Amino acid sequence: MLFWVIAAVLTLGASLAVLLPLTRRAEGEADASHDLEVYRDQLGEVDRDAARGLIAPSDAEQARAEIARRIIKLDAESARAPKSTSQLAPRQVGVIAVLAVPLLSWSIYTAIGSPEVPSQPLSARLSQKPADSSVDELIARAEAHLVANPSDGRGWDVLAPVYLRMGRSDDAVTAYRNAVRILGSTATRQAGLGEAIAGSSGGIVTSDARLAFEAALKLEPADPKARYFLALALAQEGKVADAATAWRQLSESLPADSPWRAATDQAIAQAEVRTAPANEAAGVAGPEQADIDAAASMSSGDRTAMIEGMVATLDEKLRQNPRDPEGWLRLVRSYQVLGKTDLAQDALGRAYAALGRDSEDGRKLTELASTLGLKVTE
Amino acid sequence: MVETGHFALVLALVLSLVQSLVPLYGAHKGDARLMAVGGPVTVTGFAMIALSFAALTVAYVQSDFSVTNVWENSHSLQPLIYKFTGTWGNHEGSMLLWVLILSFFGALVAAFGGNLPATLRANVLAVQGWIGTAFLLFILITSNPFARLVPAPIEGKDLNPILQDIGLAVHPPLLYLGYVGFSVCFSFAVAALIEGRIDAAWARWVRPWTLAAWVFLTGGIAMGSYWAYYELGWGGFWFWDPVENASFMPWLSGTALLHSAIVMEKRSALKIWTLLLAILTFSLSLLGTFLVRSGVLTSVHSFASDPSRGVFILCILTLFIGGSLALFALRASSLTAGGIFHPISREGALVLNNLFLTTATATVLIGTLYPLVVEAMFGDKISVGEPFFNLTFGPLMIPLLVVVPFGPLLAWKRGDVFAVAQRLMFAFGAALLAVLVTFLFIDGASVFAALGAGLSAWLVLGALTDLALKAGIGNVALDMALRRFLGLPRSVFGTAIAHLGLGLTLLGIVGTLSFEKEAILVMKPGQVLEISGHSLRFDGLTPVRGPNFTEDRGHFSLLGANGQPSDVIMSSKRFYPVRQMPTTEAGIKTMWLSQLYISLGDETGDGSVVVRVWWKPLVTLIWGGALVMMVGGFVSLMDRRLRVGAPARRKSAQAKTSPVAS
Repeated sequence: MLFWVIAAVLTLGASLAVLLPLTRRAEGEADASHDLEVYRDQLGEVDRDAARGLIAPSDAEQARAEIARRIIKLDAESARAPKSTSQLAPRQVGVIAVLAVPLLSWSIYTAIGSPEVPSQPLSARLSQKPADSSVDELIARAEAHLVANPSDGRGWDVLAPVYLRMGRSDDAVTAYRNAVRILGSTATRQAGLGEAIAGSSGGIVTSDARLAFEAALKLEPADPKARYFLALALAQEGKVADAATAWRQLSESLPADSPWRAATDQAIAQAEVRTAPANEAAGVAGPEQADIDAAASMSSGDRTAMIEGMVATLDEKLRQNPRDPEGWLRLVRSYQVLGKTDLAQDALGRAYAALGRDSEDGRKLTELASTLGLKVTE
Repeated sequence: MVETGHFALVLALVLSLVQSLVPLYGAHKGDARLMAVGGPVTVTGFAMIALSFAALTVAYVQSDFSVTNVWENSHSLQPLIYKFTGTWGNHEGSMLLWVLILSFFGALVAAFGGNLPATLRANVLAVQGWIGTAFLLFILITSNPFARLVPAPIEGKDLNPILQDIGLAVHPPLLYLGYVGFSVCFSFAVAALIEGRIDAAWARWVRPWTLAAWVFLTGGIAMGSYWAYYELGWGGFWFWDPVENASFMPWLSGTALLHSAIVMEKRSALKIWTLLLAILTFSLSLLGTFLVRSGVLTSVHSFASDPSRGVFILCILTLFIGGSLALFALRASSLTAGGIFHPISREGALVLNNLFLTTATATVLIGTLYPLVVEAMFGDKISVGEPFFNLTFGPLMIPLLVVVPFGPLLAWKRGDVFAVAQRLMFAFGAALLAVLVTFLFIDGASVFAALGAGLSAWLVLGALTDLALKAGIGNVALDMALRRFLGLPRSVFGTAIAHLGLGLTLLGIVGTLSFEKEAILVMKPGQVLEISGHSLRFDGLTPVRGPNFTEDRGHFSLLGANGQPSDVIMSSKRFYPVRQMPTTEAGIKTMWLSQLYISLGDETGDGSVVVRVWWKPLVTLIWGGALVMMVGGFVSLMDRRLRVGAPARRKSAQAKTSPVAS
């Protein structure tokens, strides 16, 4: 509201700047009198220079003569300068100009401005009530607090998993390291640190990350996160079978409602697909390694969502461009791995429709479908 | 507040449109009321842009990341001064500063132009309005600094670390004051062409504006050069970089304009040429803005792939340069030529000055644009650098500098070059002595150094001779000479001081280029380096944490004769994590007029570090000379003859100043 008042006042001021001169009676004066003034000034200057001895008297005389000549020429010019006296058109111009100011400015501003967005100075955003703040603002406030009190271990401990969830792995590594340094090592912190390190190196469980997970297991041998990621490390080294075994052991020891169950089961399924001979025979790549790695560094809920998102994207792509045999193979397999058998069956049907059941691609599909346990006959 | 600024900017655009059309129409119709609209509209437009600029500045200072421009170029941890200067440390903000200054000059013409003929004033303001409208449209369409970001990020992307320096507070505003100051001369020239006549007041108005713009541009270029010198860590003061050339070209042609405006004012000669120079100078300012702002310099191809901004500026450029030159071609023949003069005269000397300066401008222009043309046509990236300019620009400057002391001593209309040469005998003798001393005692191998020192002495002493002769020292009694000296017009002082400054700058350049010493070595802590009679000890690196950077600070001790440290010099390397960019902060110790310059390179791991040390004799004179030139311009600007009294006010003004004026 205040903004519109200010805008109205500004517009009024601007319009008045155009309007007022038009209402005033302006007296014109001949241009010649200005020129004359300049020449008179020059004459004075010549006199001064002559008095100071800067120019010879004869030169001064010559200069005076020249200026005088200019003054005479000036009189001749001003005598023949005509002026238009038509007043009608100028008045219309004035009216248009005065009206243009509010009309143009308001229409341009409504087209390009964002009057509904308030100013948001950072200090005001950081001091508002926590309930009104976004997650980003809360984090920024915590960061400001930790910059002032870097030895507040509890602060780091709280912030670290938040960073991890936001995907800010580098910051999470720092925060976990600070928490470990100040409050001491626990299985949760070490496992979190490992996950953060893996996340900051693009999902690869590096040796640093592995050290952290091993430290976690030393403190708490049953820690599911550490066990999960150590298995992932095996898978990334190419020991997929060992990884699957480790995951299976993890899966057996997990309580039924563990948040790690879904992730572990998916990992097992993926490992099985990767070790399946049909897959290798077809020479088909699974999801991008980068995607798997990214998925590994997420919490389980996010991971499922991400994988489902990727599959949905693939599905959409194939609806638009069905001539992609490899894509179909991957889609069918993905749905089956996610446990959505009816969707897998549906995808298989569409793939047949697009590629033809008896083509070479169709035969590959049939082969895959039979290894996955899907129905291949209509 | 942000949206208020946005709205004010839109209002400024509309007002600028009114300013472009209404006074022009009024002048055409001879309607005094329509012409009178120009003044208040210009002043209000300035107020709107100032409000808009203030709003953007507040957004920067308060780190309001809901403004895209602030988010892209600021960070909450930056020191306050850089939050503030960051306002114009980016494309959008700097264009806003550009129009702010443009409208400021327009408002000055409106406020102090009461003594101008009404039609001239109306036309000048209208032409200023055209420029303003074009650039405001450019800002609102392609580079709006008030674009918003929802939801607002919590942290910005930081200002380019190279710009996080006090230089940003001074250099762009000065440079723009210079660039845009020439717009007033341009507007006067175009207004004169529209009217088809050149008023006598024209010359008197153009000269102070040219002077003011020239003073600012000189300061801007000198500041930019010093900034590059200490911030980039290469120890150079001028690189013939296209961005530098972009500001140097208007300076060269502006200097020519300054001198031809004198002829025009005094002798009514060279009118048409002055007009053309005024147009060319501002055109070069626009070209400079185009080169720097369109991204065409980075790569012709990247310019072609995102051309919206570049094409817009190119259109502005074509419209204004092409339009004004076409107008010139149409109208120039109808303008009356002024007084005649003998080739050997003050006028003749100034024509010579113009000839050399415009040729030099053309040289720089070719050297700057040629690589762009080659890249656009053949796809090859070439660079035209120092060798080209040394071979072309250098030889052009030498005869010009030789003639400089003659100019102010020659009489108007018809001069006597032999008489002047006789009067300059003392300066010539001293210059010869400087050549000999340099040759025999300092460096016998460098002809360049000896002649350069001689030329500098010639310029400095020539300027002093001018003052001494005009005061009559030697011809009249000493107290009389002193009185005459104090009574000299300020413009005489201005000329002498500016020419003296030129000599000092030349001396600085010659001294640095010929006698510079350089050492590059790996230094261990405790190691001592001898350079040009100074002992420098490296004491080691310490890490330092700044507000938004980390720094490795190298400590160096300057050892006195007894081996004890007499002074400490710090040179550091900084790293700005947000932009992942390193910068160097050179350690500079000024001793008298010379400087010791230390720049840190890479560490080698065992605590030793690569160090580059330069001894730069007389280097401060380069910028000191520019400062002296600025003072000269300023003194000349103070000359009372530049103030033309309005007819009505004239009587009282004369009464007050009558002792001098009569």
